[in-house]
Parts: sequence; structure tokens; C-alpha cells
Amino acid sequence: MSKKSTVKQPKDQIRGIGRLFAWVSATMCLLPLVLVFAVSTSEVWQRGPWAGGFTLKYLAQGWQTISPYAWFSIKLALLVLLLNFIIGIPTSWVLARHRFPGRDLLFSLTNVPIAVPGIAMGLALIITYPLLRRNGSLLVAGHLLYTLPYFIGSLTPQLNQRSVRDVEWVAATLGANFPKRVMYVIFPKIRTSLLAATIMVVTLSMGEFNVSFFLFNPQNKPLPVELYSAYITGRIEVAAAITLCFLCFVVPAAILLERLGGAKVGNV
Amino acid sequence: MKQETMKQIRVGLLALIFPVMLTGFLFWPLLSLGLQSLLPEQGGSISLSLYKEVLMSKHYLSSFWNTFLLSLLSTLIALLICIPAGIYIEGDEGKDRKLLAVALTIPLSLPGIVIGFFVIITFGLTGVVPKLFEIFTGTRHLAFAYTFYGMLLGYVYFQIPRVVLTIRGAVSNISQDVLDSARTLGASTMQSYWHVILPTLKPSIISAASLSMATGFGAFGTAATLSRGYRVVPLEIATAFTENFQPKLAGAMSIILVLITTLMLFGVNKLADLDKKTRGEGSQ
Repeated sequence: MSKKSTVKQPKDQIRGIGRLFAWVSATMCLLPLVLVFAVSTSEVWQRGPWAGGFTLKYLAQGWQTISPYAWFSIKLALLVLLLNFIIGIPTSWVLARHRFPGRDLLFSLTNVPIAVPGIAMGLALIITYPLLRRNGSLLVAGHLLYTLPYFIGSLTPQLNQRSVRDVEWVAATLGANFPKRVMYVIFPKIRTSLLAATIMVVTLSMGEFNVSFFLFNPQNKPLPVELYSAYITGRIEVAAAITLCFLCFVVPAAILLERLGGAKVGNV
Repeated sequence: MKQETMKQIRVGLLALIFPVMLTGFLFWPLLSLGLQSLLPEQGGSISLSLYKEVLMSKHYLSSFWNTFLLSLLSTLIALLICIPAGIYIEGDEGKDRKLLAVALTIPLSLPGIVIGFFVIITFGLTGVVPKLFEIFTGTRHLAFAYTFYGMLLGYVYFQIPRVVLTIRGAVSNISQDVLDSARTLGASTMQSYWHVILPTLKPSIISAASLSMATGFGAFGTAATLSRGYRVVPLEIATAFTENFQPKLAGAMSIILVLITTLMLFGVNKLADLDKKTRGEGSQ
């Protein structure tokens, strides 16, 4: 594409600068991941990377410390995901397929939770429904609020796509009823973005700290809350080991998500 | 006719699910938080005394200023890095673009506390950089994790994916033809940036900036891990609620914070829309 031009200095500079900046920031983003590995596998980090040898004992210890919290977080994320399906799919459906008064308002409303800082969300929930803290339902409510905008935001455009609607219309004229159309036309068409939305909800919920900070109870601690106490009180090697366990859940999911077509940021 | 009414009812019911949930879990709680913050801690009649307390106190005002400064600087740095990076990633040449795209999205799924820990192991007392510095020069320097600069670094870290993803969405609007014309007319790189790229990206720069300002204002995890004396508003809210047992004061600060972030996200975008309309370029 650029072979034909001979004077191409400024454009190449734009590319060159872009490449440089992209590499610098990518290094900045990835280097800490390597460091976490180095710290968690060093016998005594104080004396330097792998001083005293390579060890897996902190990782074993770290996993033992957090596994109950990890299971709790996974269960919480799955419950939140289920509720995202129950609330998010109908909402995305009406937004994508129907014109009705108040549609723009509904669309703006789906973005509102992004504007509210997690800590304020948590405080409002705990002060309004103090009795619900014990059974953990406040935690579910907070995570649901926090994840739904992203779920709806990535599903709605897909359902609204011309190609999906056209094929569905053809199927309808050929006599396919609604359940059949969902099964054989809509679901296969939106499978990828549904998977992306699912991954996003699970990773967001598993990493959520700000909303959970006020809402957890000591019997039901989500993983990030336990991570935080390791950072504040624990040894740096153990803290790194716990972080590494956590990263093993989250980073593969993030990579998969980008390959499926990318994450959605809160774009109002 | 009857079928049409049934359909309307069905659509109405489906459309109501989300607002009902939002009212129960967000609007009502925020409203009751707001109402409670109007009643002083010791009892008494409705007044704005708690808000006065927050806005007159030197301590809390400086926290608001700190939060603003961190959000603003981290937003500017993130924009500076991410606009060129986003243009490169969405370009049509370069085998490393996929890898870079993934690398710059990873921070999105990391909680703020983990990002704070990253700063600690890099620039903390036993961090890698101060250590390397010691090996080469004999003295330990650059251990700034727990200062303003450490927090700034953490904030930039979580802004990067948000800004990159927003910018990337708009890069395709930059016309290659206009860039080529600019080049043949003798425009330098800086001039191309200033007169072609930045004006084209303006709407997405505005939404990236408002999103990352709002995120910065609400950031709690990173500050909680890194702050040793440098106070930001979310930290004050947590301290007021959990340590000082002043839930209503925490509520008043939360309401102010929510107003700020909502204004940032919705207000700024509304302004941008208005700007577009008055200048007649709104066709997207």
C-alpha cells in the first residue's frame, strides 16, 4: 500500500513514533507480570532475584492460603454471570430490536453504573440494606451492577447487526418460529460475542475489589479482599505468589477476550 | 389490534427489568445515602452541615485536590502515550500489532490493588529498579512507590487500556488521503498530528479523557495499596466509614464524588455532542 509512494517520511515517522510508544507502554504493562513470577519463586527476594535459589514453596503456600477464597470468588462470579444472562439478555434484546418511547433513556441508564465509583456503590448498598450483608446478597448485587453495563454493551450491537436481522427475517418468512430462530439463527450468530461478554463478566467479578470492600463478610471473602490483606500484612514473596495464582486466572482470560474481538470499555 | 397491544406490553415488561434492578440496587441506595447525609451525626434537623464540614475542612479539600491532580496528570500521560500507540496498532503494517494490542488490554482485567502491588515490586523499598540502581551506583534510589509518583504510575497503568481501546475505535476515521495530502504539501510529523490526527480524533479523545478522569476519581484499590499519607477521596470515604465510624460523613463525601464522576462522564459527552451539533459535523 505504501510501496508506490517515494516521499513517505512524515507518515513513517507517525508509524515509528506510534510503534515506539506502543512498545514502551506494552513493556510497562507486561514487565510487572514477569517480576511477580521472579519474586514469588525466589528464596529470599531481599537479596535479589533467585538469591538462595529457585523455589516453589511460596506458590504452594500461597495457593493453600487463597484456595478457599478462590472457590468463593468463582462461585460468586458464576452466580453474577447467571444474573447477567437473566437481566442482560432481555435488556439487550429490547434495545437492539425494538423502537419504543424511552429507548434512549434506557440506553443511557445501562451506562449509569460505570459513572458511579465502586466505593460509593458499596457504601450506598451497605447503608441502605445493612441486614443483607450477612447472607452475601449485597456482594452479588454490587458485582451485578458493576458488570451489567459491560455485558449489555457488548451484546446489544451484535444483536442489532444487519446481517443477523436479515438472516433472521429470511428464516421467519420461511416459517421458523421464534424459539427455532433463536436456536438456529440468532445464537450461532452471536455466540462469539456472548462468549466474550461471559469472559468479561467473570474476570471483572473475580477481580472486583472496590465494591466488595464494604460488602464482604468474614465468612465470605472474595479473592481480591484476601489479596489486599496479603499486601498489607504478608511477606512480599507470599504476596507475589498469591498474586501469581490470581494472574493465572485472569491473564489467559484477558488474552482470549482480545482474540474474540476485544473488550468494551465504559463508553458513554 | 389485540396482538399489537400484547406486543407492546411484552416490550414494556422487558424494557422495565433493567430500570427496576437499577432502582433497587443503585438509585434507591444512593438516594437514601444522600438523605442520611443531610442529617447530622448527632441528630437534629435537616441541614447541609456535613457538606459544609467536608468543603470547609482543609484536610478534605486537599484530598479532593490530590484526587483531581492524580486523575488529571494520569489522564494526560495516558493520552500522550496511547494516541500514537493506538494509531500504530490500528494501522495496516507491522506484525507486532496483535501482540501489542493484547499487552495493552491486559491491565483492564487487573484490580487496582494488584496494580498497586506491581508498583511496589518495581519501585518499592525492595523493588527491582532501586536494587539495580544500587548495584550500578552503590546507593539506593528511585524507591518512590509510596509517594505521589508511585501512585501516579499506578494510575497511568490502569488508564492505559481504557484510553487505548477508546482511541483505537476511532483511528479508522483518520483519512489516509488527507494524511498523504498533508505530506505532499510538506507537513512535518508534528504538523500532521496537530492539524490532521488530533482534530479527527477529538471526539474520542474527549470521551477517553472523561472516562479516565472519572476512573481516576473513583480509584480506590491502587490508592489503598500505595498511599502512605497522600490522601485521595475514596480513601477518606473508607477511613470515615471503617475507622472513624462517621457513616454519614462518608455518605456526604460519596455523594460529592458521585456528582463529580457523573458530571465528568455524562456532562462532558453532552458538551461534546452540543459542540458537534453547533458546528454541524455530527454525522456518525
